[in-house]
Amino acid sequence: MNKKLHALLLISVFVVATCGLIYELIAGTLASYLLGDSVTQFSTIIGVYLFSMGIGSWVSKYFEKNIISWFIQLEILVGLVGGTSSTILFLVFESIASFRIILYSLVGITGILVGLEIPLLMRILKDRYEFKDLVSKVFTFDYIGALLASLIFPLLLIPYLGLVKTSYLVGILNVAVALIVCVSFKKEIKAAIYLQTSAVISILVLLVGFVYAGVITNFSESLTYADTIIYAKSTPYQRIILTKKGKVLRLFLNGNLQFSSDDEYRYHEALVHPGLQALPNARNVLVMGGGDGLAVREILKYPNIKSITLVDLDKGMTGLFKSNRMLLGLNKNSLLSPKVKVINADAFTWLRQDKTKFDFMVIDFPDPSNYSVGKLYTNSFYKLAKGVLAPGGIMVIQATSPYVAPKSFWTVDTTLRSVGLHTIPYHNYVPSFGEWGYIMATENPVYKKPSTFLPGMRFITKESLDLMFYFPKDMAKVKTEVNKLNNQVLVKYFEDEWSSVL
Amino acid sequence: MSGRPFYKRACFVNALSRRSFLLKAGIVTTGILLSGCIRKLKPNGAYKSIKGSIKGPNAKAGHILRDKLPLPAPSGTRNVNTLIIGGGISGLSAARWLKKQGYDDFELLELEDHVGGNSHSGKNSVSAYPLGAHYITIANNEDTLLTGFLQDCGVITGFENNLPVYNDYYLCFDPEERLLINGQWQEGIVPDFGLQPEDKAQVKQFFALIDELKKAKGTDGKYAFDIPIDDSSADEKYRALDGITFKDYLHQQKLTSVYLLWYLNYCCKDDYGQRIDKVSAWAGMHYFASRRGKAANADTNAVLTWPEGNGWLTKKLAAEVSSHIVKGHMCYSIAHNPQGKVVASIYDIAKGTTSLITADNVIMATPQFVNQRLFKDSVTRPVDYAELNYSPWFIANITVNSLPQAKGAGLCWDNVAYDTPSVGYVNAGQQSVKLTDNKRVLTWYLPLCDHEPRVARLAAYTRTYEQWMDMMMPELEYMHPGITDAIGNVECWIWGHGMIYPAVNYIWGANRKAAQQPVNNSLFFAHTDLSGVSIFEEAFHQGIRAANQVLASYGKQANT
Repeated sequence: MNKKLHALLLISVFVVATCGLIYELIAGTLASYLLGDSVTQFSTIIGVYLFSMGIGSWVSKYFEKNIISWFIQLEILVGLVGGTSSTILFLVFESIASFRIILYSLVGITGILVGLEIPLLMRILKDRYEFKDLVSKVFTFDYIGALLASLIFPLLLIPYLGLVKTSYLVGILNVAVALIVCVSFKKEIKAAIYLQTSAVISILVLLVGFVYAGVITNFSESLTYADTIIYAKSTPYQRIILTKKGKVLRLFLNGNLQFSSDDEYRYHEALVHPGLQALPNARNVLVMGGGDGLAVREILKYPNIKSITLVDLDKGMTGLFKSNRMLLGLNKNSLLSPKVKVINADAFTWLRQDKTKFDFMVIDFPDPSNYSVGKLYTNSFYKLAKGVLAPGGIMVIQATSPYVAPKSFWTVDTTLRSVGLHTIPYHNYVPSFGEWGYIMATENPVYKKPSTFLPGMRFITKESLDLMFYFPKDMAKVKTEVNKLNNQVLVKYFEDEWSSVL
Repeated sequence: MSGRPFYKRACFVNALSRRSFLLKAGIVTTGILLSGCIRKLKPNGAYKSIKGSIKGPNAKAGHILRDKLPLPAPSGTRNVNTLIIGGGISGLSAARWLKKQGYDDFELLELEDHVGGNSHSGKNSVSAYPLGAHYITIANNEDTLLTGFLQDCGVITGFENNLPVYNDYYLCFDPEERLLINGQWQEGIVPDFGLQPEDKAQVKQFFALIDELKKAKGTDGKYAFDIPIDDSSADEKYRALDGITFKDYLHQQKLTSVYLLWYLNYCCKDDYGQRIDKVSAWAGMHYFASRRGKAANADTNAVLTWPEGNGWLTKKLAAEVSSHIVKGHMCYSIAHNPQGKVVASIYDIAKGTTSLITADNVIMATPQFVNQRLFKDSVTRPVDYAELNYSPWFIANITVNSLPQAKGAGLCWDNVAYDTPSVGYVNAGQQSVKLTDNKRVLTWYLPLCDHEPRVARLAAYTRTYEQWMDMMMPELEYMHPGITDAIGNVECWIWGHGMIYPAVNYIWGANRKAAQQPVNNSLFFAHTDLSGVSIFEEAFHQGIRAANQVLASYGKQANT
């Protein structure tokens, strides 16, 4: 055996070590993306992975003949399993119950296979080096590989390729090691042709995966989002995208940001508390839109509230926020509360049939960016809403940005007034959205500013409320038309005003 | 379209005179040849995967009339004071009016198993949809009979500053219209996108002319153009327009822009089923200049529509008189008995039996081409029936799973492509407040105006489903590339006599006036072919006019 082959085997150790650590990092990253709580996820993944490697090392003693051939087959297998692992995990994420089983199984299998690699390699090399040289060389390359992996993974692979492509790339490297070893030792192994063919086919399979990885995570889509997409689903009504960067989760519906977990409290506290705090006797609450359960979370803070009806069109949304652990952490299990009744229905149609009255109503629809949603901001809709508002009750409407889209904001105000409601417009600053506007509406001019708020508020206080009710010059009221089903002026204003910004 | 089983083939031929048989055979052959020439007789099969069917008004019943087939002897006789024949909008309006005036002794016969005439509608799992007339515009404020009805049925919900407030759910939702022109969907149907300044100037000139004519009154103080048509001024200055074609009139006005002429051709096709060379100038202008309705919450010319089109209005008209309606019964003969009463021979389509109804008087809410056959020689009127022309129509309700996106304005209620044979499609789900998923029903309207109505009608009857698809699909693909794969189902509907069209000298000619005249003070007439334009408002007033004539024959005065 010549020097060249020795070097080759040692390079294999290096590549194998690098790949092995990257699989571990991929699994850990994916788990913390998808399940949240990165400390727990990383430490359990590393534990399971190392333990599996131990199993692999132990099992290695049962491989007796044809060690090189076994090593090649193993490499191909590691490449295939590791390469496809992140794709599989992304695809099964939706079926939340079995996700962990699959995650840990994949981590386990990869760990066992990777655990087999070094012992087998050492046995291949054992007749070619003295024991002390062998141990020193193998572990040197192993640890250098680990260092390289830990540096290129966060600095190069994730930013430029993303998780799925990285997996395929590393898988291809693994199989490439197999192929090179196979070609170099073809005299010493049986069925070299068969192994070479398998390796080539596997590389091709992984290459296809690499090229089409975009289809899985929708790379073009991921380009439009600054952060990593951890969940994407098209329901009959919208495309739901959840992204994560660090601890921050963001929800997008049809590309429009709905909340960012780091500042959504500013939005939801402003949406709920100015109205509900002023209604100490409120019992029944209606929330329309808001399938994320975040407004409901705020409403549940009031012990006087007996029942909350949440009407959201999309079962895909409410289902996600009822079952995903990370999202349940965000909405504090609000949609699972026995006080909450979730109705998946079209709000307009539902409201036309509903006969019950509500003391407090939260109307939290997506922005009026198209004619379908625009209908939910019309005088016809507000007439129906007025019809279910209990005497003395308050409804609050999210009404887009009075700073960026003053005409749109004040159109909502004009439209509410046109059906005989009294309005109390206000606004606050939500870093993710910018200056944001809300409008409370009542049947009679009865609103009294609350002087205290529940303990535990992070944003709202009596003082901040005073500021919220004040509209500076650049957001001052403008004259607008009434938004109606047969003119949909709001959609036109909204389009004009936001197109000049975006 | 053979007759019922008991009509032997021999009877069919016996019943026809040799001459009329040869004439009919000739027309049928021409029709078949024509339909073959227009489209390859052999369908290309590209749309095989799209399920569908062809339907239309009860042709079987129609042929019994046309071909004068023998029927069994009448098995009984009964009496009613007033009989209304025909359950289209005119007949229903007459019935409603009689009922409203406290007059109860009447019966309405309809040969179909549904009422509504060409305001018929259908329904599938996605949406209800029109099979004919599908909208009205807001009413002229002086038309209190109509606004009264609209108030009765909740279309007008109240008044503000003396202006009617229309129900928000029935006013056509925005966005209303778009036109595919010069490669892009523009908002609105009046051509604008990509037009040269000269063309735009002519479009402006035309609408300036319309604005003037809307306000114009004749020497008798009446509006030059009004609804109902018979309320329009008799001033010869305006009526003279009825003596020339719309095309010649536009030429005289030096309105020659191809875009403007396309638009006016489109409008005439949409309203009358014919192009500007076939309709009178008076009628061409009437559509634009007769609508002056003002509302508290909508613009003039605002449209009222429903998923099922005017099928919704049909239901409302029929609601109060449903117990008087007898469906599936066809009148096949009308005569006077020696006592001066009217005897109507009735065929029960389901049972295959006939009976007689003796009535003091009858409202013929049937088109005149049908009346001609019912009267045979027993009733003579000074009417030249051959002068009444009816446009044939083809309508397809297309259920799509999605609608491919295109450049420009998004889906509207009315969607038209410039310079295509059809007049476009309407989105049947426009008035839905739901955030729809992508399934929709699109109602596509094709006036068959490329040949003489009689020839086009026969060609339409002989065309197969596959041939209709070959006519329709290329245009739909042009409007929405890729739509073929998104189509789930197509329901075709053929109206052989879809609507009267106002040919030159029809509206203000002697023939129409003569056809409106009662016979023996016992036969009264109500149909839009007596107005010359087939719109809901005319049918509505035709019915009331005939009902008032019935009441007057008893010496009663209507309460308005």
